[in-house]
Amino acid sequence: MSHTSLLFPSLKQGLRRWRSTRVLAWTVLLVMIAFTLLPLWMVLKTALVHPAALFSSATDLLPAEPTLLNFKKVLGLVSTEEALALGGSGAEIDFMRALCNSALFTAITVTLQTACAAMAAYAFARLRFPGRQSLFGLFVASMMVPGIVTLIPNFILIRDLGWLNTMAGMVAPFCLMQGFSVFFLRQFFLSLPRDLEEAALLEGASHFTIFWRVVLPLSITPLATIATLTGINMWNEFFWPYLVGKDELLQVLPVALQTFKSQTPQGQPDWTGLMAATAITVVPTVVLLLAFGRQVVESVQFSGGK
Amino acid sequence: MRVRFLAVICTVMNPISMPSPRPAHALSATRRAETLTAWALVLPALIGFVAFYALPTLRAIAISLTDWNLLKPAHFVGLQNYAQMLHDGKFWNGMRLSAYYVLLNIPAQMVLGLFLAVAMDRLTRSLFVKSIVLLPYLLSNVLVALIWLWMLDPMMGLVNHGIDAAGFERQPFFGGVDQAMLTVAAVNIWRHMGLVAMLFLAGLQNIPRNLYEAAALEGASEWQMFRWITLPLLRPVMVFVLVTSVTGSFQIFDTIAITTNGGPLDSTRVIVHYIVQNAFSFYQMGYASAMSMTLCLLMVAYTFVQMRIMRASENDLA
Amino acid sequence: MTRNTTLLLAALACCTAQSATVKYMLWDASQVPAYRQCAADFQKQHPDIQIRIRQAGWDDYWTAISTGFISDTAPDVFVNHLSKYPEIVKNDLLIDLRPLMARDQVDSSLYDAGLLQAWARQGQQFGLPKDWDTVALLVNLTHAQKQGVSLAELQHMDWNPRDGGSFERIAKRLTVDALGHAANSPQFNLKKVSVYGYQTPGAGGMTGQTEWSHFAVSNGFRFQDAPWSPNMHYDHIGLAETIDYLAGLPAKGVSAPLERTRSLGATAMFVSQRVAMIPDGSWMINYYRNNARFEYAWVPLPKGPSGQRTSMLNGTADSIWIGSKVKEDAWQWVKYLASSECQQTVARHGVVFPAVRGSAETAVQAHRQKGIDTSAFLSMAKSPTFLPPIADKASQMNEVIGGAMESIFLGKHRAKATLEDANRQVLQLQR
Repeated sequence: MSHTSLLFPSLKQGLRRWRSTRVLAWTVLLVMIAFTLLPLWMVLKTALVHPAALFSSATDLLPAEPTLLNFKKVLGLVSTEEALALGGSGAEIDFMRALCNSALFTAITVTLQTACAAMAAYAFARLRFPGRQSLFGLFVASMMVPGIVTLIPNFILIRDLGWLNTMAGMVAPFCLMQGFSVFFLRQFFLSLPRDLEEAALLEGASHFTIFWRVVLPLSITPLATIATLTGINMWNEFFWPYLVGKDELLQVLPVALQTFKSQTPQGQPDWTGLMAATAITVVPTVVLLLAFGRQVVESVQFSGGK
Repeated sequence: MRVRFLAVICTVMNPISMPSPRPAHALSATRRAETLTAWALVLPALIGFVAFYALPTLRAIAISLTDWNLLKPAHFVGLQNYAQMLHDGKFWNGMRLSAYYVLLNIPAQMVLGLFLAVAMDRLTRSLFVKSIVLLPYLLSNVLVALIWLWMLDPMMGLVNHGIDAAGFERQPFFGGVDQAMLTVAAVNIWRHMGLVAMLFLAGLQNIPRNLYEAAALEGASEWQMFRWITLPLLRPVMVFVLVTSVTGSFQIFDTIAITTNGGPLDSTRVIVHYIVQNAFSFYQMGYASAMSMTLCLLMVAYTFVQMRIMRASENDLA
Repeated sequence: MTRNTTLLLAALACCTAQSATVKYMLWDASQVPAYRQCAADFQKQHPDIQIRIRQAGWDDYWTAISTGFISDTAPDVFVNHLSKYPEIVKNDLLIDLRPLMARDQVDSSLYDAGLLQAWARQGQQFGLPKDWDTVALLVNLTHAQKQGVSLAELQHMDWNPRDGGSFERIAKRLTVDALGHAANSPQFNLKKVSVYGYQTPGAGGMTGQTEWSHFAVSNGFRFQDAPWSPNMHYDHIGLAETIDYLAGLPAKGVSAPLERTRSLGATAMFVSQRVAMIPDGSWMINYYRNNARFEYAWVPLPKGPSGQRTSMLNGTADSIWIGSKVKEDAWQWVKYLASSECQQTVARHGVVFPAVRGSAETAVQAHRQKGIDTSAFLSMAKSPTFLPPIADKASQMNEVIGGAMESIFLGKHRAKATLEDANRQVLQLQR
């Protein structure tokens, strides 16, 4: 099943076809790749530029006066007075803390959401109980409700619970229920052959044991998929943490970046610092890709229903 | 694989079409245990659903009938918020802008994603290339907005520098009344193009190779093969992307909040941004809830219509 | 051993129980070191009160405050702004300081009467004056010298909405295209300007503090009948003439069109030497000191048709949230913030002009020691000044007027009709 047999049915014909379409295809691909990487390079380059040299060298492709100052500023390794003297706004960003908050937030939501979704999905797929269809229907319907509808009442609910500016308040709407996760996992469970489960049933195992010992171990891939997708979404979640986790001790990365951007007296961002922060924020994503690239790519493709 | 995917589509269309439980005339002990276990397993998700989806939706309806501003007690005002909404130019502007954004965004993403997928399918299986293509999607909306704010800046951005060097006039992009929305769409296309490409790639790789081989033997050109084999067999994926993208795009907010904040001159004040402004800047919670309920009805209606159409095209395909 | 430990623990518990934390919030990052110093001095005098300072940038500041009100987590003391405080007062969120001032015999003669009065309404005092700021003109001296414009000329400009007066003539001399031609020469290429003469920083919202308020007021405009009056005058012809004039500058090549400056702003343009003159406020003194690597000067604003130069005098104050759980401690902190001791400390840091009489001169001295002459701000403060608009529903008013201003500056509409319409909407809001 190789491409060559497809692309070279006869050598002469093949060579002719090869030239035009392949060249076109490679051009398209390379342009797209450049289009993707160039902005990221500009971010890194700007992060390495000294603030004083920023305006004059903004469009150069290489950093004019390379310096690690911006990274130090953003990681809190430079005092306020020094930061002010460097130019820029003197605004502070506690990047390490934001990083930890993001990691914690993502870890909690991914773990809980995947667990709850798996349990519910199994119940819908395999167990019989009154109200099963209607309940599942409601869960699916929840995917159609726009986020903004529940945002305002959820905000009020979190306020009434006194959970504003707490991690509990930030994770609450995400950690128990997510329509897509339940739906996706249920699909998977439905497609599993029943023999193993039936055998276990005959041996007198309880439903829970079957779930725990038989089904789950078979479901590592879809669970990993859901965990990866949820992880990406939670790591990048902005608006809810922006509303609920404003306190600088609690900010997650996207919120910290936005706050840092609007810190300055004239609304004029500290561009070099901001780009340094942006560069650092991109790093975990890149690391994730390098380490778990195959998993991530397949998760994304899987979600399209491969 | 395609069978499984069609199963997904079918179930999405008929969320309730599962085999019904056999009527249990006498609840045996095992059946009771089953029910109990089931409820135990469903309970956490159920609590989440009730607490953060169901009750809030009902509460949103209730708030939409009041004039609450969170600081003073609420007063019941009936359908006044809805009446005000219908006369509010900014509300219609918001809806129009969101629809405009969807029209800009989705076709472009699909076309570009498709080209990219076809190119990748033809040329390379490399994980490295796939990772690069996917990278923008993994970045948060905030990051993407910041990156492009910098790249597109009229004075200091690289893009305008290139435009200026080529002899054209510098463009305001995010700052231009006519360009802001287009720019926001372009930025989001940049972010999602790779994702769409990956989804299409998965679909492409499911198309049996012998179809292409047979066509090649009959002398079909690349373009003809694309037009008559690839496109029709990619329809299920296209439909899936369409369903998820349209409702998602209609609710765009993050990028706009970072880059233009609704301006200039309300040219990017899409509906969700307007709702958020009313809720958290003016504290008109009642009015904001009324508008969000209207949006909700619209999205639900759209989803039903879309599923109807999908069902029709499903029958075509079969 | 056990008894001693118990006693120690009891003592600690006792102290920590008595130690209150007062949360203080402000928006200007460059003021944080000064106020940290004040807090340290305060805590020496009041060892049982801890001050926790939090800073949020202007864009986020008011959202953070309002969310704090809603969620009962607002700061105990926060820096307040004249245009923002009516909405807060209307929702009964601030403490009346008058009884406390009377009880502790606070000497209000320390402050300029106008500043104190601006923060009062119907016999209640909602803030103690903290600092004031005015607007002046920032000019690139290096560039001016190259173009043959002297500092004296810059310090004595006049303006009118018809031909722009000497202000426009000088701005044209300072505007240079890519080939070196100034805007008053026939070979000037409008399309390829390399240095603009003057830049309006933005559309200005409902206050136009640095953008247009001084020009308009010197042309006969005033915001409202009196502070708190719902009778707004945005439809005054003086304002329309001013905005039309400013919006017409890009057509003459003297300014960059507004859309180009939207993301970066006039500040960045000035620092990168792309514009020769911009109006800006005294809160930016340190920013330019740190970022402008060429010779520059602060000069007084041009005289208007009224024959005088004028500037908005904005005062900030410290207010106490009504929901604070440590009101008495918060009051002690506010009293200290408003004392000459703290304000002199702030003046010595050379960041703002504190409200207490005499501290402004200290601040100018401090600036002089750092190499900048900021006497222009003092002379603006001594000329006729006016307050920003003080009225309820400011957020929504800002939307309406800001939108109108933007559309005029972007060339979509003419000023007169747009502002008349906007004023009608604003009056409707106030009803």
